[in-house]
Amino acid sequence: MMFRRKLLAVFALTVFVSVAAVAGLVLAFTRPAFEKTEEQRTAALLAQFQREFDHQGAEVARRVETIARSEAMDRMATAINGAPGDAAPYFELAQATAESHQLDFLEFVDSRGVIISSAQSPAKFGYPKTGFEVLSSASGQGPFLKQEEKQDFTALGLFAVRASSAGDHPVYVIGGRRLDRNFLASLDPPAGMRTLLYQNRGDHFSPDLLLDASTGAAADHANQSDKFATLVTAAQRYKQPMTAVLHWSPDQADDELFHAIPLFGAGKDRPLLAILLVGNSRRQYVELKRSIRNSSLLVGGAGIVLAILLSSWAAARVTRPMEQLAAAAQDVAGGNWDTRVDVPGDDEIAQLANSFNRMTAELLTQKERLVQAERVAAWRELARRLAHELKNPLFPLQLTVENLLRAREQSPEQFDEVFRESARTLLGEISNLKTIVGRFSEFSRMPQPHLQAVEVNELLRGVAQLFQAQLQAPGRAAIVCTLELEENMPLISADPELLHRAISNLVLNAMDAMPSGGTLTLRSRSRDGRAIMEVADTGSGLTPEECARIFTPYYTSKQHGTGLGLAIVQSVISDHGGTISVQSEPGRGTTFVIELQANAAALQDAAAAKNEAGL
Amino acid sequence: MKRFNWRWLAASSLLCAMVAAAQTRPQYGGTLRVTTHATLTSLDPPDASQTDSVARRSLLLMMFDTLVAIDDNGRIQPALATSWQASSGGRRWQLRLRRGVKFDDGTPLTAEIAVSSLRAANASWNVRADADSVVIELETENAEFPAELALARNAIAKRSADGKDSGTGAFHAVEWEPGKKLALAATENYWSGRPFLDRVEIEMGKGFRDQITALELGKADVVEVPPEQLHRLSSGVHAVSSQPAELLALVFAREAASPEEKMLHEALALSIERGSIRSVLLQGAGVPAATILPNWMSGYGFVFPSDADLPRARHECEQVKATIHLIPVWSLGYDSNDPLARLLAERIALNARDAGLSLQPTSATAAEVRLTRIALSSSDPWIALSAVAAMTGATLSRSKENSAQDLYAAEEDVLASQRIIPLFHLPASYATAAGVKDFRVRPDGSWDLSNMWLGGASLGNHGQ
Repeated sequence: MMFRRKLLAVFALTVFVSVAAVAGLVLAFTRPAFEKTEEQRTAALLAQFQREFDHQGAEVARRVETIARSEAMDRMATAINGAPGDAAPYFELAQATAESHQLDFLEFVDSRGVIISSAQSPAKFGYPKTGFEVLSSASGQGPFLKQEEKQDFTALGLFAVRASSAGDHPVYVIGGRRLDRNFLASLDPPAGMRTLLYQNRGDHFSPDLLLDASTGAAADHANQSDKFATLVTAAQRYKQPMTAVLHWSPDQADDELFHAIPLFGAGKDRPLLAILLVGNSRRQYVELKRSIRNSSLLVGGAGIVLAILLSSWAAARVTRPMEQLAAAAQDVAGGNWDTRVDVPGDDEIAQLANSFNRMTAELLTQKERLVQAERVAAWRELARRLAHELKNPLFPLQLTVENLLRAREQSPEQFDEVFRESARTLLGEISNLKTIVGRFSEFSRMPQPHLQAVEVNELLRGVAQLFQAQLQAPGRAAIVCTLELEENMPLISADPELLHRAISNLVLNAMDAMPSGGTLTLRSRSRDGRAIMEVADTGSGLTPEECARIFTPYYTSKQHGTGLGLAIVQSVISDHGGTISVQSEPGRGTTFVIELQANAAALQDAAAAKNEAGL
Repeated sequence: MKRFNWRWLAASSLLCAMVAAAQTRPQYGGTLRVTTHATLTSLDPPDASQTDSVARRSLLLMMFDTLVAIDDNGRIQPALATSWQASSGGRRWQLRLRRGVKFDDGTPLTAEIAVSSLRAANASWNVRADADSVVIELETENAEFPAELALARNAIAKRSADGKDSGTGAFHAVEWEPGKKLALAATENYWSGRPFLDRVEIEMGKGFRDQITALELGKADVVEVPPEQLHRLSSGVHAVSSQPAELLALVFAREAASPEEKMLHEALALSIERGSIRSVLLQGAGVPAATILPNWMSGYGFVFPSDADLPRARHECEQVKATIHLIPVWSLGYDSNDPLARLLAERIALNARDAGLSLQPTSATAAEVRLTRIALSSSDPWIALSAVAAMTGATLSRSKENSAQDLYAAEEDVLASQRIIPLFHLPASYATAAGVKDFRVRPDGSWDLSNMWLGGASLGNHGQ
């Protein structure tokens, strides 16, 4: 399954990276294009707005021109004709004319710069007009901005100046519209745009000088007028159009792109009188960008999901044969060599499967040959050992019989003595032969283990107790038996009698290895689900060559013995599915290590069998 | 050739003359419609809660009579009192009541009623009835006391239990909506003769522009006209103006606290260009004034110069600046309901700025100096001066003789406090419809409808 997951991960990652790359490229290429489109749209809107603003200025100039060309103006100019006359008849003329022409500011000023009549400051009749030199020079020019000082406030207006041509001395008509909220509202910006006007009085930004014609939600934003401070300050400083994005909230859709357009007054100084702030909502742009991003994410996500599904299917198709191969290899490792993997097709996986099948078949054949060969070798070894073992007792038998014959023939007086001696020798050798045959018979009759749940520590304790007396027997050097048993040893599935016998054989060998006494240690421990039992002595140890042959039947390093004890132990352990090994060095004692599997299934079967047997 | 028939010519001429004479002869009947900007909420003559105004005086004197009256020449004439005598150097006055005078509810006029009415208006007088006379004892001598009795607030009124006032005037109230409308009907048995008009309807609280419009639309017969608007009347409209009886002045809220402040008051007075203001803002109406009393009332008004003296004003300001280093900013209050007042205030602020003073026009009620219209309360100069002096917190010292010199000195004392800066004397002006005949205005600006009648179209439109 791990290979399938890895393959799946690789497929999915490949698709994800591909889709993400595509989406990222789409965004990267579309964003500049969209931003450019947005800039063009904004520029177009701004140009439209500028035209509207200019149109308003032209309208002011047109109205002032109309007033200057009117009969009333001609009559006044003729009557005054440059001489300081009585302004009383014209006192209300400016106010009435301003109302009829929808102007917020209107003044009639004679050629000396004295106010004849003023709509915005009626009380200023007879007073010199402030800035008359600049205003008179602006006569006939285009509209311009001017600050109009009143008693208690200063107003900003869009003005134009025209001169009445009647009489020898011109009468100047100075008219204008106030730049206030109504003026801003009259500009009628397109949807999504709004306008504010900052009246530039003083060096520092003041929210009170900001006029906003918007209402509702936009008015709420306008309450955050401090956010305009940076843009306005920059425009004040550099006296050039500036642009900035103002963030009203954490949501980018609420952002507005503001253009600050400086508005200058007339005259050589061209003072900066106001800054027109034109804002364009970025909601549409942000929402479109989000839409593209969301679409990309949606498509990408769908693609990834689809890719995962397809990858899962593809991975399954690719990895299933591999899994089958892996399972088959595990079976082979577990001993089941008769395993085949059926993978249709001609690809490399199929070829691998076929090779695997051939390999397992070959292994099976070779195993059978090996088993056969081992069996033959075992028979040969058995025959050799048998011949070796039998030969020893047979030679003395032969000599004894020949001795008897010689004694009958040559020393008949001693025949009885010789006969009795020879009979003892014959009986001894026959007993030896019987022992040898008995051992062979015992080895050949090794029963199959009846598996039960066996408690390892209890088994070892039982063995130690059994040999306790022999270990401390008088006439031999004392051997101390030590138990090093791990707590909570797992139960194992074993034949308790056979296992007991095997452990006992190891204990006997250990006792034989310590003729001068020593320490016998019985250990138990568990590792990785396996129960490990150790029988260790402090005898003379074994050489590596002896360790290699110690389990070979009939091999023995003792003067007595058949050499089958450890072979029997190995056979028992092998029948239990376990392993036995030896660890030894000359002079450092010997340790036999038995490893048995704690087989839960076998335990369950054993327990079930036990229950059935009523035990 | 036929003989020219001179008889027919004589007869036709006589007939034309009779027709012409008929048209100029007063006719009884008709309803006069009057509009006023004033809003009266009480018709009780001594009600001190009501602001003295020309309109109030006009209405009260239509419904109530005073014991004496002041004619156009300033002389005391009999009214409800036929004669009067002074004694104890002018501390005791006895006035004999006219017989046969009745209130509009039919109650005869008695000395007790007259005494009760006078006591309600003047708590400091010792008034009592003596048969058919009223005896008044004053705390101080006053040779000009009868002029006080001619004031509208001293008109004789009979108060009924329900608080309604009855008068002996030429008209009596038949409809009364305080502050809005008053309808008067002619008193048939008025002691001086029934007026020609049957009814007078007065609409109150009308702005000047609305009044002019009503006149032009034929919805009003007599309307008030601000002096500066007289020139705007159309040619068919007849305008009547009184003597300059209203003082337009700057009144400081308190006395000058220091000599420097007094100098600043004086500087302000010197900075105001009355001539240009009169010419432009008042459109030639009114008279520039440097005195409280108009020249026609005092006879010495011309002595006080009213022209601006800007260099002197600047000099005074600079002297003050050298002493206290800072010229205070004054708030200049004006009546926001008066469009002329705002213009005047702005102009005065401009003039003051030229002199180095700083005035800030405001429509707020509280201000350091206020542009005020003061209707002179009487044609009698002492009464008028006393009333204005009382406004400024000054008291007049009157001599026994109350001569012109005394008057001059008294006024000079009031002006010397620099608490009041007279600006203009303005007349009370009215416009009347074409059918309104013999509409007269008293010197103090109040109407005199005693001989007024409606003729021609006006009479036909209103009917009897």
